[in-house]
Amino acid sequence: MMELYLDGYAQENGLREVDSRLKLLFGLGAILITLSSSTPWAPLFIAGSMAAVTILLAKIPGRLYFSLLLIPLSFSVFSAIVILFVSGGGAPLLTFSVAGASFMVTTGSANLALLLLARTFGGMCSLFFIALSTPMIEIFSFMHSLHLPAVVIDLSMLIYHFIFVLIGEVISIYNAQTIRHGYTSLKRSLRSLAMLGGMLFIRAWQQGEELIMTMDARCYDGKLELPGEWKNIKPVTVALIVSYLLLCSALAYSSASMAIF
Amino acid sequence: MHIMEGFLPLYWCIFWSIISFPFVAYGVYLLKRLAGEHRDTLPLLAVSGAFIFVLSSLKLPSVTGSCSHPTGTGLGAILFGPFLTAILGVIVLLYQAVFLAHGGLTTLGANVFSMAIAGPFLGYGIYRGGKAIGLNTFVTIFLAAALTDLFTYVITSLQLALAFPAQMGGIITSFTTFAAIFALTQIPLAIMEGIIIALTFKHIIQARADILLRLNVLTPDQVKKVQESIA
Repeated sequence: MMELYLDGYAQENGLREVDSRLKLLFGLGAILITLSSSTPWAPLFIAGSMAAVTILLAKIPGRLYFSLLLIPLSFSVFSAIVILFVSGGGAPLLTFSVAGASFMVTTGSANLALLLLARTFGGMCSLFFIALSTPMIEIFSFMHSLHLPAVVIDLSMLIYHFIFVLIGEVISIYNAQTIRHGYTSLKRSLRSLAMLGGMLFIRAWQQGEELIMTMDARCYDGKLELPGEWKNIKPVTVALIVSYLLLCSALAYSSASMAIF
Repeated sequence: MHIMEGFLPLYWCIFWSIISFPFVAYGVYLLKRLAGEHRDTLPLLAVSGAFIFVLSSLKLPSVTGSCSHPTGTGLGAILFGPFLTAILGVIVLLYQAVFLAHGGLTTLGANVFSMAIAGPFLGYGIYRGGKAIGLNTFVTIFLAAALTDLFTYVITSLQLALAFPAQMGGIITSFTTFAAIFALTQIPLAIMEGIIIALTFKHIIQARADILLRLNVLTPDQVKKVQESIA
């Protein structure tokens, strides 16, 4: 459950004082460039530079960062292997047969698989940057400034609050079950998890009922107010971000014909 | 396993966001109406959303050894119907992307369609259907939750196949390949999720059946029957 504390790291990261709109521009801009690039070079550059910014400037522990990178690894490697064999185009690179079925890797499919791996890492590193440098509460202010329906933002904020309440419940129930050998076999694990789920739902519901009373007692009129405070935007930061994004776009554009195979 | 950030080409990201939009928009309309009518809608939906999020971040014991997470949206569909589940799904997927580094922002539309729209719609249909023909409550819940989970991955395979069709045999070959690979981990996982959600319901019926009655998930007759069979 340690991963859940990404938001905790975001609360005390080195870039806390930078305006969240700039951080979102930086991360989302990089994701869009990653997606529009047709060769792996620009996404790889973005992955490397985003990792460097997150570890060096936002001061996120390197070990945590690399354990996070393992999450997209299994999905992207699985899917890239499928694409390596099913898509095609270009000259054959490798042909072999296993148990009567023949497999062929072509330059086209190898390029596509590599591009997808690079794009996933470019995209995930940019997403990690946003996740680790922008606390959720600032994203709410951003959503508010986009004029999303107030009821959706209120719902998101309440969910955000309850996630932490419920995680506390899960941890204590889970520990109590573990010390009673609740997870020592598959059958026991199923029983314990179901019990945890049921209790969690009931406790969550009670919390909700209590919240209604608390909110009514404080004159809740169907709208939660959000302290919207924006930080000072330094022109230097804007210039740096824009030039970084221009550099990435230039790299993506100029390397468009530099396929690996 | 959601589609990771960066994996889908830009035009497919836009395509799936456009497809998902009307469902979510109708959900927002429904949410606004309900919140206006009943003051307690928002807090209770919020705890349920948080519950789905926490449930989906629990690791399930998986037979194949890979660590897998339940989707949790089957439960949402049974309790609140598919449109409200779509909204909860959008918020939960956003938090999964930002808190857990699962999924992504540009692939949000595609993931919302598979996990928060297609799966729950099927699950809700199965639950209502099973209730109408008088199938055993736990069997119905098991089927609804397990097939919601499974269908989510069928749609994910379809999304990947549409974006990356095979050279030989096109979309269909590509779809069967993706589906076959996901099936290795997802079929056991779907069965686990079905069992756990069904047993979770058992605990809820034992302790707080009034919640399920209020949400119109079960009829008083069903509750009585189940409570007698447990006792």
